[in-house]
Amino acid sequence: MSARQASVHAKWVIGQVIGTKMKKTAKVRVTRLVLDNYLLKYYNKRKTYFAHDALEQCTIGDVVLLKALPEKRSKHVKHELSEVVFKVGQVVDPLTGMRVAGKQYLEPLAESTEDAEVSLTEKLEQLNITASSPPSPS
Amino acid sequence: MPMKGRFPIRRTLEYLQKGEIVFKKSVKIMTVNYNTHGDLSEGARKFVFFNIPQIQYKNPWVQIMMFKNMTPSPFVRFYLDDGEQVLVDVEGKHHKEITHHVKKILGKTDQVLEAEALAKMELSNPANFGHKKYFLRECMSEVEGQVPHPGLVPLPKEMTGKYRAKMAATSDE
Repeated sequence: MSARQASVHAKWVIGQVIGTKMKKTAKVRVTRLVLDNYLLKYYNKRKTYFAHDALEQCTIGDVVLLKALPEKRSKHVKHELSEVVFKVGQVVDPLTGMRVAGKQYLEPLAESTEDAEVSLTEKLEQLNITASSPPSPS
Repeated sequence: MPMKGRFPIRRTLEYLQKGEIVFKKSVKIMTVNYNTHGDLSEGARKFVFFNIPQIQYKNPWVQIMMFKNMTPSPFVRFYLDDGEQVLVDVEGKHHKEITHHVKKILGKTDQVLEAEALAKMELSNPANFGHKKYFLRECMSEVEGQVPHPGLVPLPKEMTGKYRAKMAATSDE
């Protein structure tokens, strides 16, 4: 049983992309919470992973989900890009499915357009336009 | 001398060990998105402040990541081993409601936890003797009320091997 055949310890990891200068490879920083034994407080501990990104679709700052490859692709690359969770600048809120920036929705929510339509139809009814009555000369 | 910090009880082993949520084996990653201001995120903020250390203590192999001020509404997302994702909306909820909900959907039930604890206890029988690393006692001489080790306290003459051998030899004659 050689060490090469042993699978990677981390099967699924989430991290932020910090470098894309390599061809078809993304450098991803993964933070895990580690307990400080004296203070008994959790701190982020960083680790960098290299992930295979076949379509070169990552930019620096994306939050990305990595999946462990069944076999190492090269000396350092043991993971591949599974999906981009949050694309930098184009964050999509998973609850509503709309584009979001911080606390604001970039797209208008659907409710406002329905209200406009209802008020328009009401206004048209109020005008009472009929084809038979001739326009009054004024 | 009091402990430093806002709620230093969060930094005690007793508090960490009291965590209720032990995730099922398939949960690999937990992600919490919340906002630093606003009443709707209040429950999520308290959840991160009070309950995340407990969860991480009980589940050391689950990666937990926090994201602040990315989306208008707070949510918790879990990534399971088979690629499935579980999305939990926590807007407006109290942090205790959030823990109960998470425990119900992805935590091991109390029954399972008890069964596991029982199985673990069965593996290590306190009645066994052996190396200090795995057992409580190494030799019967360590137990109070038993004959102490002759290296520390000399045995009474009647118990020594050479006296007994002499007595056996003289009685045989």
